[in-house]
Formats: sequence, structure tokens, C-alpha cells
Amino acid sequence: MAAREPAKRIIQQVRPILSVDREEARQRVINLYKAWHRTAPFIVEKFDIPKSVPQVRQKLKEEFIKNKDVSDVRVIDMLVIKGQMELKEITKIWKQKGHIMRYWQESIEYKPNDFLSKFMSGHN
Amino acid sequence: MMASLIRRLPKASTSFKWIHSTSAVYADDPLKHKEAPIVENDVILSDQEVKEREKLSHLISLPKEKTLAPISGVPEEHVKTRRVRIYVPPKNAMQSGTHNIQRWRMEFDNRERWENPLMGWASSGDPLSNMNVDFNSKDEAIEHCEKNGWKWFIASEDKPKKERVKNYGVNFSWDKRTRVSTK
Amino acid sequence: MLRAPMFRALVLAQLPSRAGILFTTSRMQSNAPAKAPEKIEVFIDDQPVMVAPGTTVLQAAAQVGVEIPRFCYHERLAVAGNCRMCLVEVEKSPKPVAACAMPVMKGWRIKTNSDMTRKAREGVMEFLLSNHPLDCPICDQGGECDLQDQAMAFGSDRSRFTDINHAGKRAVEDKDIGPLVKTIMTRCIHCTRCIRFASEVAGVDDLGTTGRGNEMQVGMYVEKLFLTELSGNVIDLCPVGALTNKPYSFVARPWEIRKVDSIDVLDALGSNIVVSTRTGEVLRILPRENEDINEEWLSDKSRFACDGLKRQRLITPMLRKPDGEFEAVEWESALITAAQAIRNAPKDKIAAVAGSLVDAEQLVAVKDLLNRLGSELLCTEQKFPTADGTSGTDLRSNYLLNSSIASCEDADLVLLVGTNPRYEAPLLNTRLRKGYVHKEQDIAYIGPEVDLSYRYEYLGNRSLTIEDIAKGKHPFAQRLKQAKRPLIIVGANALARNDGKAYIAALQSFARQLKPEDKNWKVWNVLQTNASQVAALDVGYKPGVEEVLAAQPKVLFLLGADGNAVNKENIPKDCFVIYQGHHGDQGAQLAHAILPGAAYTEKQGTYVNTEGRAQQTLVAVSPPGMAREDWKIIRALSEVVGTVLPYDTLDELRNRMEDIAPHLVRYGHLEENNFYAQAEQLIKTQASSFQGDVDVNQKSLEDFFMTDSITRASPTMAKCVAAVKKAQATG
Repeated sequence: MAAREPAKRIIQQVRPILSVDREEARQRVINLYKAWHRTAPFIVEKFDIPKSVPQVRQKLKEEFIKNKDVSDVRVIDMLVIKGQMELKEITKIWKQKGHIMRYWQESIEYKPNDFLSKFMSGHN
Repeated sequence: MMASLIRRLPKASTSFKWIHSTSAVYADDPLKHKEAPIVENDVILSDQEVKEREKLSHLISLPKEKTLAPISGVPEEHVKTRRVRIYVPPKNAMQSGTHNIQRWRMEFDNRERWENPLMGWASSGDPLSNMNVDFNSKDEAIEHCEKNGWKWFIASEDKPKKERVKNYGVNFSWDKRTRVSTK
Repeated sequence: MLRAPMFRALVLAQLPSRAGILFTTSRMQSNAPAKAPEKIEVFIDDQPVMVAPGTTVLQAAAQVGVEIPRFCYHERLAVAGNCRMCLVEVEKSPKPVAACAMPVMKGWRIKTNSDMTRKAREGVMEFLLSNHPLDCPICDQGGECDLQDQAMAFGSDRSRFTDINHAGKRAVEDKDIGPLVKTIMTRCIHCTRCIRFASEVAGVDDLGTTGRGNEMQVGMYVEKLFLTELSGNVIDLCPVGALTNKPYSFVARPWEIRKVDSIDVLDALGSNIVVSTRTGEVLRILPRENEDINEEWLSDKSRFACDGLKRQRLITPMLRKPDGEFEAVEWESALITAAQAIRNAPKDKIAAVAGSLVDAEQLVAVKDLLNRLGSELLCTEQKFPTADGTSGTDLRSNYLLNSSIASCEDADLVLLVGTNPRYEAPLLNTRLRKGYVHKEQDIAYIGPEVDLSYRYEYLGNRSLTIEDIAKGKHPFAQRLKQAKRPLIIVGANALARNDGKAYIAALQSFARQLKPEDKNWKVWNVLQTNASQVAALDVGYKPGVEEVLAAQPKVLFLLGADGNAVNKENIPKDCFVIYQGHHGDQGAQLAHAILPGAAYTEKQGTYVNTEGRAQQTLVAVSPPGMAREDWKIIRALSEVVGTVLPYDTLDELRNRMEDIAPHLVRYGHLEENNFYAQAEQLIKTQASSFQGDVDVNQKSLEDFFMTDSITRASPTMAKCVAAVKKAQATG
């Protein structure tokens, strides 16, 4: 076969990480979002970044929307845990200005996405 | 009650000798060192924590989906654009040993490699160029790829080895063409 | 009166009668396992295993998973039993037995790791190493050497060799057997694998042993070239570095090599290969085992032509300047110029000609593009009879090798018409020879007298013979009718001639009249010579360039078409020729725009072999310079032209291929072909006359080596041709 076979819908029994159902996972995600939301002015002031508080909140929203299609409860838990770790690093000022600015990826050269530019620029 | 659960340490012995030695291995009893008391965790849990633990101790049912990609740490372009090939490594044509062909392996599609100007070694811009994972069976490999979100295809068949008839006597057959004509 | 095998006499003479091991006559002298399917129980290292009677100890151990070391034994060659490395202890026998030759008896307890076995192995290894030169640092086989590995695993840890200060080790002169195989005969351990290969599989009885004992030498006895198209396989077979790859000598060590599995496209069989690369260049090509196609062998062209991948490459897009010279340009300019020419051309004057090394992705992409532009003029370089009177290429069974390559060895009577399988498809020839040697196959041949590696019945080269056979008048026709599994194999080059239809009319209908024993046995077969022909015909290309040339196209795509079917005289003077290929060969010289593509080691492409099995090559190295993968060029061109093709990635393109022809993406799977009855009914026996005698394109070894753009660019192939011509000139 050229492509893989379609994923079969199997129900599996697994051990939960933090939440046992989607409701609980959803509550955790929302709590995390609120905590981040409240930290936005702290970030702008303490790290002296050239962004405003609404811009920080916009970026926060984008990062959360990026993972909106995840449906496995355990993966959501892991993402929440990672989000909490990032938040802790920010509130304790273990991160620095450069780490925070990295979220905006301003100095990254985006590789071409459409076919013709990819074709002209290289082999892939 | 709490105290009984704290493990009692033996008191420091009076026969402690000072050993002059630069060796890393001392000749003293490690149990005689003073340590912090060991406290069993279960005893000091609050009720709420006990309830949490109880809740998480049962299994939950989830539909199986390949969603570990967000947390596996692999950059998105290397999940979406790469293709995994699952195969049994072919036997080296120059040798007659079969130790390397007893497993299933996964490899990624080859990307560009060029000669590094410093030493002439092979450089590559591909972080997954040496990512070769071995599995015991085809299904394990498929499950792994599905879990990580890679597109895969199977490149080897699971065929059993063909049985061959080997007979020394045919070298000397009288009227058959299998009669050996050279030494 | 059958002679008794020698070892029976020896063993019976020396074993005490109390040994309790009885040898029965019938089993020893049978050439096949006993008819009774009941299995015998044997114990290997105290593990019971049920084996068919007639299995050797070595095969029984392999079933359990115990691999007994050996040098001379090879699964596909006859048993020799002369290295003695496979000695294992059998309980109640005072001597160890050679596991590769000894068939098991019921109840034998075989110990593969006992003291006696280990002592035997250490002893044999000591003997082998005592005369073996200390060449490991300069030997090409280091790192993939059986002797090294088995000495480490089974040999003794210390040496008792003190003779180096007295008589020393023996030394043997090197033999010159050609520009492909390097021989350092001092390293030879006389396993005789090369001799058995040359004699059984290749059919040239040139190699042998001279002398005895310490003076024994393996060679040809006279300074002769090893003139066979399979000579490279002895390099794989030789367990030590005595026979090595001459173009690859001192190039790389096996641990710095990256191996990529792929498919060979220099002939139509699609042999499985392993491409060895390092730092982005292809160093050598080795065969991969595939029971159905090439077993474990590889022809010389496929093996040694890899250095042609580095020469004469097209690495930048080029446009022809008004003065006739080519100028290297960027991709944008080339694509824009080509797109302008396409847009200016009238709708039905755009055509494409597919060459011999094109993958199915490229064929589908070009066909989609041209169809979207309103043109149906797509054709292959090689012709196939499609005139009315035959069903042409509409039915797959007309142009494929219908009985698969593996079943060719099961036939009992084969008729070869207008094809020299020895040089057109060497690995099919080994199958025929395998049937000839082991399964009593008889082969007859119509064509110019050539040297096939087996004895065949020569029926002449007159086309009248074919007509006689078809009408049943020839005596051979009776033999075909009585054969249980007859095969008729017609060469694609014979069908590509102007009278190709006559072959089909005569032989295909005759093939239908034959009644093989097995209803599923297919008699009519066509042996293709181009790797891309079958895929092109499957996708819908028309065979032969006449239709395209008659339409006087204004834009002509040449997809690697270097076969001289289209040349300066044929094309109209105002035609804009776009050449897309990887070598600067004949096609590129005609072009107005050159778009550099990827060779078969540089792209993931689908090739369908002559039996109809689809296989895919994988990317081993990236295309050089500014070259790109072929289908991507067409997709980019389509975007510049304005009719964008609907696929961006390889997976989407393969979905499109699956829509067109599902077998194109079922890799490794062989589809059954049918509609033979309908094909026969569609043959109208009009006045189809033969023109001229039956001929083949490749009559002798020097014609074998240079057949397409990659091999023509290869210096190794040039050396081979020169060496063969010299050898034949001197006698």
C-alpha cells in the first residue's frame, strides 16, 4: 500500500495521568488559561518585553488554539502539565527576556509552504 | 504510631575508626552513617490526596487515536512531511550470517547529505537521519508510528523462508543435468 | 545403473557396526525427499524438531534457529562439503559430520556446541588461517568478511603458527579475469563457491581448480576473461577477499556505508538492489534477496553501472540560445520559457515521448498535464503492435510476462522467439537455466544463433518456422502440444518491428490452443526490455512514436527518450523540444529546453517490471546540482502554464495513480492477468506477413553493456566492452 491503512476505532483501557474524563481535562485547561491570562501584565512589566499586554494575551490564545484538536485525555493532561511548568518558570523569573520573545519567533525564517517556492528553493 | 513507622537507625557505633585512605572504597559500614529519617509517604497523605489517588488508580476507556504528536517533541514539519518505512533489513549479500535479519526496523526517508568541507564526513540537515528503531514484529512498529503520528508503509513481506532440497548425491547423477561438471 | 554416492562407501567402511546408525540405500540415492510427507524427529541441542526426510543437518538446525558456520555451503549452489567448517557432533558417532551434506536420520541427537564441535571448528579455522595472508587492513572484504566473523566467533583465541619464520605461508599469483572482478588469489580458501556458481548458475565452465593440497589454485588455468554477464555475483559469493569488486576497490569500508533498498531499472526485471552510499554519492550496488525475481543474483550492468550516475549529468536547467548553444539558466526562466511555448501551441500539437527509465509518477503527471491541455499524443519509444487486427495494449496479458519469472523454472518446454534472454534479462536466463539443470526443462530458440548459457534446440532464424509452428506443421508444434507446462516467450524488440503483428497473430493464437496441465498456467509471454514500458502501457501511453510524429507537434516532451526513435530528421523544424532527463545523451542534444531530472537512485518512483509487478525505488542520494524529482518538475510547470495539477505531495500523486491503475501502488504484489480468450478472438488473421528473419538486438556480450543513458556514461561499462572485444579478437 502506498499510504497506511485507515486507523481503526479501538477502545483501549489506559491509566489516567491527572484527569479521568474530558470534563475534568477541560476544567484543567481553562484553569491554566486563566492563570496565564492573569500573568500577562506581570510578564510585560518584569521582563521588559517590547510587547503590550493585549499582544501577550493574543499570543497566549494562539498557543492554546494550536492544540484545540487534541482529544486524548492523557495528552491534554501532559500539555497542561507542560503549560504549568512554563508558567512556573515565568512567575519565578527563571526564564529571561529572550525565552519569552521566543514565543513570537520573530527571527525565524519561515520555509516556503507552497509548492512552487519549495520547488525553486530546494529538494524538499 | 508515627514514630513506629519511622525506621529506627542503629546508633553510631563507638568503634568507628578513622581510616587514612585515598581510595574511594572505605572499609566502613554505610548503615552507621547518620541519615535523615525515612518517612513513608502513604501515612502523611491528606484525605483529599487519598481520594485523588483512589480516582486515578482505575483504568479509563479511551478511543485509540494517534495523538502523541503534540507532546512527543518532534517538530511539526518532521511529523507531517516525513514518511516511515517499516521493513526487515535485507541480508548482507557479501556474508552468510543472518543475525541482522531477525527483526523489523523503521527508517525515515532519506534527505540530502553532502560532504563536509572540514573533514570530508557526511553532513546532513535532517535530524531524523539516524533514527532507526528496531521492533520484534511488524505490528509493534506500526503501532509506534501511529502513536507518533508518522505516515508509514510496509516494505517487506512476512514470507517464511523457502524450503530447499539439498542432496549431495545429485552431484553424481548418471543421466541428469545436475551432474557436476567442474570441481 | 546409478553410481552409489561416494560418502556412503567411505562412511560404511569406517563406522563400527555397533554405531547403530543404519544407512538405507533408497534415501541416499534419491534425488528428492521421500514421497512420504511424514516428518522425522531430530534433536538439535536437545531441542526436538520435525523435519522432512532428506533435510540436511544444517537446514534442520536453521529451522530451530541455530546457525552452523560454513564457508562452502550456499543455499542456491550444489553441496560441496569441502570447507569442513560445518562439522557438528552427532551422538554416538566417533567423527563429526559435515552438517551441510549429511541428511538427518530419525532420532539423531545433534550437538552444535559441544566440545568436539568446538574443537573441530577451531581446528578448521586454524588450518584456514595458517595459509591466509595478513591482509585485513588492505582487504576490501574487511568488515563484511565471513572469515573474520567466524574466526572471532568460532576460532581459537591464540595462534600456534610459528612457521612464518621457516616455510612461511603459501602465496599464489593473481589471475586477471576481467575489468570487473579483482582477484587476489592468495586469500582464497578454496571453498569452490565461485566454481560452482560459474558452472551451475552462469553456465560458463571456466573456473576450476588446478593442483592439489597446498598447491591448489582456483582459476581458469589459462589467462582468460570471465566472460559472463553475471560475473559480479562471484564477488558476493566469495567469503573472503579473494574476489572483490574492482571499480569499488579501496573506496569504502562497510561500516561507513549507508544502505538503501531500491530497485534496478537498467533492465525490465526490476531486480531488488541495495544502494550503498556515503556522503551523498552512490558507491556500489549489491543485490537484495527476492525469491520471485532475482533470487540473490544481479547482472553486471546493474551492479557496475553506478559510476555512470556521476558523469554526463544534467545539473542545471538549460535553454538553447539563438546561436544553437546551450545556456544554463535558473528554474524560473526555464519553466517560463517552456510554459510560453506550451501556451502558444495549438491544443492538439503538444506531445510526449517516454523513454526507458521513466517512473510511473512522471508518466502519470505528464499524461495528466497533457490531457488537461487537450492533447492525447503520448507515446513510448518502443513500439508494440497495435494495428487493427490485435487488441494491442488494451489487454495487459498481451504485453506482459504472464507466467511470472519464478514460474519460468517450472516449465518443461520453453520456446524463445526473437529474444536473447541472456543479455536482455540475465536473471530470467538464470531461471531458465535453473529449470534446465534441476527440472529437466527443454528450451528451443528461434533467432540468430547465440550462445545461451544452456544447450537449446536451435530451430533456425527463418520466420517461416514461426508460421509452421503456428499452423502445426512443424514437428516442434507437436512437442509443444504434448508438453505439460509449455512457455512461449517473445522478445519486445521482435514485436517492435514493423512485422510485430505477425508474431502476435501467429503465436498468441497458437498459445491458446496449447492445453497445459494446469489451467492457470500461462503460455504466452512477452519479455520487455525497458523498465518503464509496462508502466507506460498500463497508464495509457501508446506504443511507438509514429502517431506523434505524424501529428507534427509544436511542443514535444522527451522524457528521458535517448533511444533514437525521435531524432533530428523526424521532428518538424519549428517544434519546441523539452527534454527532461538526467543524462546529457542523444535526447538532450535535440532539445530547446532542458529540465534536469533525477536518476533512479535519487527519486522515490514506481517501476512495473515485465511480469506486471510494481516496485518502488527509494531515495538514496539527492539529485545533483539543481536537478529535481521528475514529477515535481511537471507539477511546477503545470502551475506556471496555468493548469495546476491537483497534487502537491507524493502521497496525493500516488492516490491519483491508484485511481488510474490500482496495481501501480500495490508494491511487490503480482496481479493475475486474464482475458486471454478475448485477446485471441480480437486477433484477426489478416494478411500478416513476416518481413525478414527473426533477429535480436544483443547477440554477444559486448552488446550487453551499453544500452541506455546511464550505462553509456559509465567508464566501467566502457572498459568491459573494450575488454570483451579484445578477448574475442584474440580468440
